[in-house]
Amino acid sequence: MANSTTLTTGKQNIWGGGKSPFSVSYGKLMMWIFLLSDAFTFSSLLTAYGFIRYSFPSSQPNEIVKPMSHLSDQFVEEMQHAGLFSAEHWPLPELVFNHFPFLHGIHLPLFFVSLMTFVLIFSSVTMVLAVEAGHRMAKKEVANYMVLTILGGAAFLGCQAWEWTQFITEGATLHGNPFGPTAFAALFFIVTGFHGFHVFSGVVLNIIIYINVLAGTYEKRGHYEMVEKVGLYWHFVDLVWVFVFTFFYLI
Amino acid sequence: MEQSEHLEHTETPSNMKQQIWKTFWILFALTIIDIGLYFMLLSTHSMLKNYLFIALGIVKAFYIVAIFMHMKFERKWLVNFIVYPMLFVVFLVILMLIEGDFTGLVR
Repeated sequence: MANSTTLTTGKQNIWGGGKSPFSVSYGKLMMWIFLLSDAFTFSSLLTAYGFIRYSFPSSQPNEIVKPMSHLSDQFVEEMQHAGLFSAEHWPLPELVFNHFPFLHGIHLPLFFVSLMTFVLIFSSVTMVLAVEAGHRMAKKEVANYMVLTILGGAAFLGCQAWEWTQFITEGATLHGNPFGPTAFAALFFIVTGFHGFHVFSGVVLNIIIYINVLAGTYEKRGHYEMVEKVGLYWHFVDLVWVFVFTFFYLI
Repeated sequence: MEQSEHLEHTETPSNMKQQIWKTFWILFALTIIDIGLYFMLLSTHSMLKNYLFIALGIVKAFYIVAIFMHMKFERKWLVNFIVYPMLFVVFLVILMLIEGDFTGLVR
């Protein structure tokens, strides 16, 4: 008797309707499914990158341009003459992404993109701290951490806008660039653009959540689960950046 | 109803804040290692180097998903449900690397 009771309760808990088999709410489960499909989209883009990247040999420099050394205005032309930037070779990322705002004329390879990575990781931390504060129903803390997260996202977008501007100023377009094969810049714009669009959507969602927190919507609802759901999306954007960073700047 | 359902599954550990900061420092250190390795291995061109960076990326991804996305504290089948389909991606990557190699040969 006791046994059958447990079984029935167990059944009700698992499949009896109104409760999720995974012990998460409907909204969270759907967010996970969406993120899985989005992961497939990004995977196909990054795999396309890997495919094209792998079909080109890397350019092999005779000597390494030292970080912090002087960066002349004709750097791209010099690299082209040296044969390091050519349509037959995939360019080395440290020779392409070597600019930093306000530090014109210094060779700072990958410094700026590393900074962008830290900004995004940090905004992920403030997001998860907002979720944690939400568990404690600490409205003020949630609001403060949401502001920090929004600022982090906006800072990242600003950095990306600057990087794109620099890249375009040097002559990169979707159908040609002075650094290497056409696909090099095209893939850069498409993949970082698609990721940037995700960051932008995330910032918009975060702002909506922030307004709702201030309005006391979640306080009235009794839980801050919406912060968790949008948090999942925001961490996913950070997760994708880890791979965009690895593939575009390190490999 | 909504509320009780929500509270039911909060298996979040009490030292969550501590874990969050620990994860942050791990991610920070791994990114520094990434960049450090990149400059140390500038003159080496082997596929092994690329695998190293991808492995580091996967470790970072693990920490983000496990702690930040709370996956470590979810039910086992939710984890499987998300992780197993990603095997298709592994398949696609292997396929495309073989294809990429071939395309390079015929170009």
